[in-house]
Amino acid sequence: MTTPPRFARWLLDRALPDDVRGDTIRGDLLEEFRVRGAWWYWRHALSIVVRSRRFRRGRGREEKPSMVIESIWNDLKYAVRAYAKAPSFTLAVVATLALGIGASTAIFSMVNGILLQPLPLHDPGRLLYINEISPTGGRMTVSWPTFLDWVQRARTVESIADSREEPFTLTGVERARRIRGRRVTAGFLTVLDVHPALGRDLARDADRPNAPGEALVSDAFWRTALDADPHIVGRTLVLDNVAYSIVGVLPPEFVYIRPYDVFASMGPISGTAQLTERGNHSGFYAVGRLRPGVTVDAADGEFKAIAASLEREYPNTNAGVTARAERLADRVVADIRVTLLALFGAVGFLLLIACVNVANLLIARGAARQHELAVRAALGGGRLRLTLQMLVESTLISVVGGALGAAVAFWLLRALIAVAPDGTPRVESVRLDADALLFALASAAVCGLLFGLFPAFQASGVHGQHALVRARAAGASAGSHRLRRALMVVETALAIVLLTGAGLTMRTLQELTRLDTGFRVDHLLTMRVMLAGEQWSEPRRRSFSNDLGERVRAVPGVTKAALAYSLPIDGSQWNSVFVAADKPAPVRAETPSAAFSPVGVGYFDTLAMRVVRGRVFDARDSETAPLVVVINESLARRVWPGEDPVGKRLKQGWSDSRTPWREVVGVVGDVKFEGLTAETPMQVYVPLPQQPMRSVAIIVRTTAEPAAVTHAIEDVVRGIDKDLPLYSIRTMDEMLDASIARQRMSMVVFVVFAGVALVLASIGLYGVVAHGVTERTHEIGVRMALGAERRHVLALVVRQGLSMAVLGTVVGCAAALALSRSIEGLLFHVAPTDPATFAAVIVMLLGVATIACYVPAWRAARVDPTQALRAE
Amino acid sequence: MAEPAYLGEFEHLLLLAVLRLGDGASGPDIARELEQRAGRTVSRGHLYTSLDRLEDKGLLRWKAVAGAAAREGLPRRLYTVTPGGLAALRSARDVLRRMWRGLDGVLKEPAS
Repeated sequence: MTTPPRFARWLLDRALPDDVRGDTIRGDLLEEFRVRGAWWYWRHALSIVVRSRRFRRGRGREEKPSMVIESIWNDLKYAVRAYAKAPSFTLAVVATLALGIGASTAIFSMVNGILLQPLPLHDPGRLLYINEISPTGGRMTVSWPTFLDWVQRARTVESIADSREEPFTLTGVERARRIRGRRVTAGFLTVLDVHPALGRDLARDADRPNAPGEALVSDAFWRTALDADPHIVGRTLVLDNVAYSIVGVLPPEFVYIRPYDVFASMGPISGTAQLTERGNHSGFYAVGRLRPGVTVDAADGEFKAIAASLEREYPNTNAGVTARAERLADRVVADIRVTLLALFGAVGFLLLIACVNVANLLIARGAARQHELAVRAALGGGRLRLTLQMLVESTLISVVGGALGAAVAFWLLRALIAVAPDGTPRVESVRLDADALLFALASAAVCGLLFGLFPAFQASGVHGQHALVRARAAGASAGSHRLRRALMVVETALAIVLLTGAGLTMRTLQELTRLDTGFRVDHLLTMRVMLAGEQWSEPRRRSFSNDLGERVRAVPGVTKAALAYSLPIDGSQWNSVFVAADKPAPVRAETPSAAFSPVGVGYFDTLAMRVVRGRVFDARDSETAPLVVVINESLARRVWPGEDPVGKRLKQGWSDSRTPWREVVGVVGDVKFEGLTAETPMQVYVPLPQQPMRSVAIIVRTTAEPAAVTHAIEDVVRGIDKDLPLYSIRTMDEMLDASIARQRMSMVVFVVFAGVALVLASIGLYGVVAHGVTERTHEIGVRMALGAERRHVLALVVRQGLSMAVLGTVVGCAAALALSRSIEGLLFHVAPTDPATFAAVIVMLLGVATIACYVPAWRAARVDPTQALRAE
Repeated sequence: MAEPAYLGEFEHLLLLAVLRLGDGASGPDIARELEQRAGRTVSRGHLYTSLDRLEDKGLLRWKAVAGAAAREGLPRRLYTVTPGGLAALRSARDVLRRMWRGLDGVLKEPAS
């Protein structure tokens, strides 16, 4: 480690004055840290922190405290002594506070950093996300001509831009590589209200077909790839074999949804058929800035109205198509909202449990101190004086618990980040959230104050002498004991809710990992390569694919290999409508749609997919051979139910499209295609030689660790063309892991929370039962003297403790059922009311509760009757 | 400087350590000296408050010099014993000598 522990350093910085004196000490510790290590640093930083008063002012000379300060100081000293006299109580409260505050703050910081942080853009509330909606109600990206119509007609937005994610291959550099790019229209920066830090924005007419390519580069890309050259403007970047001149560098703080290296202008592509065709929705969506004072609903209405008129003008392409405008910020977190809310709920529950536990402990202590307070009241301690004393005590313990909680949060957050699944977005931006810490601290402090004052009011409210007598008679705490039992029921109920959440998310993850993917997942390595630019003509792409397939298969350690356009789990970019030759042409809006996947020879074999009927592709399906397809079971079932689809014909496109008919030669089993949770879509596999694609995935089955052959394959590809970078290199296991990262994270959070909740609840239960036993020592002694057996006493105490747990379990189950709807979105193949999970949770909680009750009960059963009675 | 200041045991050791280290002793140097020679490990909180107290009594003074990269450029404080400090040490030594005199036989220590 080369930097001292962050939290210790932060504390030290606050303890020392901001002058030369402070700086020299900071420096000394830093220097010694390098020799003596982190542990040493912590110890000595704390030795300074506890003396911070002397360091910050006075330097050895204490100013004379005023009367109030002095009395508070005395109270403080008294409180420290009182806490020191009851170490187990103090430890319980401090540990509860630290765990509750720490865990909830850490999780909240995590959730906040990854999901909740507002878009770092100017006035994000006025930014809109606008896209088209298909006749079936699904989201579609925006066709280019439609976007141009929006620019002309929309009045509710002051500016509007179109953009899509578009990774580029950067060549003309020493080693060609893939970079993260976004294709944007000229108004993009205007909409976002961002100005380049260097150079200028894209030219106004940069969208015009065949306008020279222009590029804006991110600050990070400028610094890392372009050596932060101040004269970079005017230089050329070759992206997918097209030249773009760099016109500007974006400011360092600029981020649009995720990091990009380059933003490229539309000119080089806006004249291509792919874009000018109105029926083509090629990955763009629009972002607009609302005019001041205009609502999102008004804008949504306007875009729907424009869509309606476009529908009349272009019935062929726009029939049934509408549009939708929503807040950009909502859209960005839409997918993750359910997870977010469920985790947020869990955070709240955990904090509640911690508060209940603290309340419980404080009331117990209050009851135990009734006598002491009564004595003090009798000796003339005023109500104000006693209240102030209690206030000081609860504040002290809240502060200590809070400080420890901050440390717990700090460490826990580190641990969580360390175990966070690879590819968790924005993990690097996760920081300990000060607001969350403050909130957790404040709620714990308020709770501490409320329940800390409770005994003070009780004590000072009654006449001193009266209380003295009553306290001795042990009846004074009956009321507080009832309150504690009620709190215990609440706490158990809360724990049940969290445990159910943990159980259900665990079951979900189990279901997910057990799921049949339809292919063999192990020992598979995948990667992609992009054949961009004019020099990659169809014949050349074809021969490249043949060549590559052969050479990859020859790599040692590779048993099978195949090329494909799309991969299972990863999903497809090519979804299209299709028609079957022997079925009546459907209404336009009801034409079925399938994921089209061009795949090379050996694809099905490499993935070990099931062949249900007919044959799969082989060498005879060349570009000159008759056009064929293989379909998946879902498609066979939907389109040809009860028939043999082999020999039937289908074509991609509408019934009046001039695309060729293709013959179905085989049916293969369904595979999980878009992540693990989504239903398998209808799929049409096309032989790659008959449909050579520019973006190609290589799939390799290996004998040993798949990642080990990566370098060999990279060399093979570079051997064919040195300007072809490999990207998205992942094993299939990694892809699967990434696809369930969200579920895994919620499971981890729930399990951590539920574990803490269970510990707190059992500590609480133990405390209440043990306290009850102590209070009833006399009674138990009498019972035993009168002939009660040990096991009777044991049963009595355990029964009384368990009655709270059982009641709490009933309430908790009811609450969990009521809340089941909110967790539904996190689950997969598991009902939110899953009886097995509920049963397991109940058994677990009652088991732990029994142990927690049994320990004090065992102690009660060993009461010596003579001793107990003599104590009177 | 009429009456030499009274020295506590730890203050006594601190002043001696600074003297031993010669011209300009830094905090870490002083701590190391105490560790090695006197077998005393001292928390830095205690060390720096004690050094400040000696400064307040006029027995130590310090000057700040620029720090190296290992301390992120933070300055270093170099301590020297003032004439007052020397006087206090001398008087403390005299007191100890007087109190030791004649006890060598009882304590069975070789005379130094």
